[in-house]
Amino acid sequence: MTNMDRDEIFDGKPVIAFRGEHDRRSFLRTAVLVGVGAGFVGYQAGDPTAGRGSAWAGNLAQASPAGDLDILNYALTLEYLEAEFYTRGVAGGVLSGRELELVTPIRDHEQAHVAALTSTITDLGGDPVAKPKFAFPQGTFTSRDKFLTTASTFEELGVKAYHGQVPLVDSTDILAAAAAIAGVESRHAAILADLTGGNPFPSPIEANLSMKAVLKAAQPFIAN
Amino acid sequence: MSITRRGLIRGDVAAVTPGVAVGALNNRFAWAQAADFDSDVDVLNYALTLEYLEAEFYRQGNSAGLVSGKEQQYLAAVQADEDSHVATIMQTVKQIGGEPVAMPSVDFGGAFASRQAYLETSHTFENVGVQAYLGAAGFIKDKAILQAAAGIFGVEARHAAIVGNLLGLSAEDGVYMGATETPLTKTEVLAAVEPFLAGAGAMGDDAAVTL
Repeated sequence: MTNMDRDEIFDGKPVIAFRGEHDRRSFLRTAVLVGVGAGFVGYQAGDPTAGRGSAWAGNLAQASPAGDLDILNYALTLEYLEAEFYTRGVAGGVLSGRELELVTPIRDHEQAHVAALTSTITDLGGDPVAKPKFAFPQGTFTSRDKFLTTASTFEELGVKAYHGQVPLVDSTDILAAAAAIAGVESRHAAILADLTGGNPFPSPIEANLSMKAVLKAAQPFIAN
Repeated sequence: MSITRRGLIRGDVAAVTPGVAVGALNNRFAWAQAADFDSDVDVLNYALTLEYLEAEFYRQGNSAGLVSGKEQQYLAAVQADEDSHVATIMQTVKQIGGEPVAMPSVDFGGAFASRQAYLETSHTFENVGVQAYLGAAGFIKDKAILQAAAGIFGVEARHAAIVGNLLGLSAEDGVYMGATETPLTKTEVLAAVEPFLAGAGAMGDDAAVTL
């Protein structure tokens, strides 16, 4: 699960084009803030308290200006990307049988996540980010291996992105909603690892992304 | 909708349909009862009891010679995860000045009579575990502990999905449980696991999880 191919999604090509500069900057700003907070926790799997202490609290306070709405829009952007990815992938016709049965609901889930996050943001008085334009590299959906391997990498990153946000969310209700989604992403990640010969259980506690990893993952998606 | 929870769990778990949380996203979330937990130690001891159950379940199940090949590998990994969760939570409870609850006496009945029974019980356990963590997470005050609990929750969801797939269950309502996970209250969770707790008072007088 740690080879280079899996770390580089979409061959490192930009696949998201935001509708406006405001959306793009908001996404990147949140990625940085979330990354700072998540990276600072810095605990190893199996030691959830290693990141606790006064320094942690201080950093959390700095990170919190991202705000719950920003975090939800950050998640919405990633869900838009996932929903589009699976919609095209399932439509591409490279899967059949049990694989198709397992991946089709993932598409439906990501679409439901987009809808749920959009209405949650609206209900909170926020402004949901517009659906970005996506440009996936040639060949992403024409090979079963390429599609599923990309999906597997993608889901593992999605899981880590959600878990990086957990300590930054203020509202208990929003945290619950995000956690309810994150658990499903974990299921997706496990199944895709199984389908691609990877490890469905890479860690006893889900990892979260460091700042470096968030930026590395996010920036290639953003078209200038 | 044919979830293989039948027979193994005598609670009202199956009454919670997987679609419920979608509608709840825009409303107040179905957290556990307000009076369920007084402190982070309470929540962690609740989680610890469930992890004890799971760890012991896989220890016995994996010793029974019911599975082989990839299934055996996967279930060995699941057992290692549950052992890790027990150790992690115990350590955390001590670090924040609490007293970890003792391991309850358990009786898994006919769960190891066959591969099918083992995997079906596992599937039930894992899904209840997912729902228990989600239902309790809102009570955790320390953000670092919350993140760790969320991290364990996600791994239980991985276990649930993979075991569901080993059983060949339908993708939706089998491998996955809808677009969002559904929380259970402490009362619901305890009703679900009670059949596996051997003897009255097994949970201990001081446990956060007494019925």
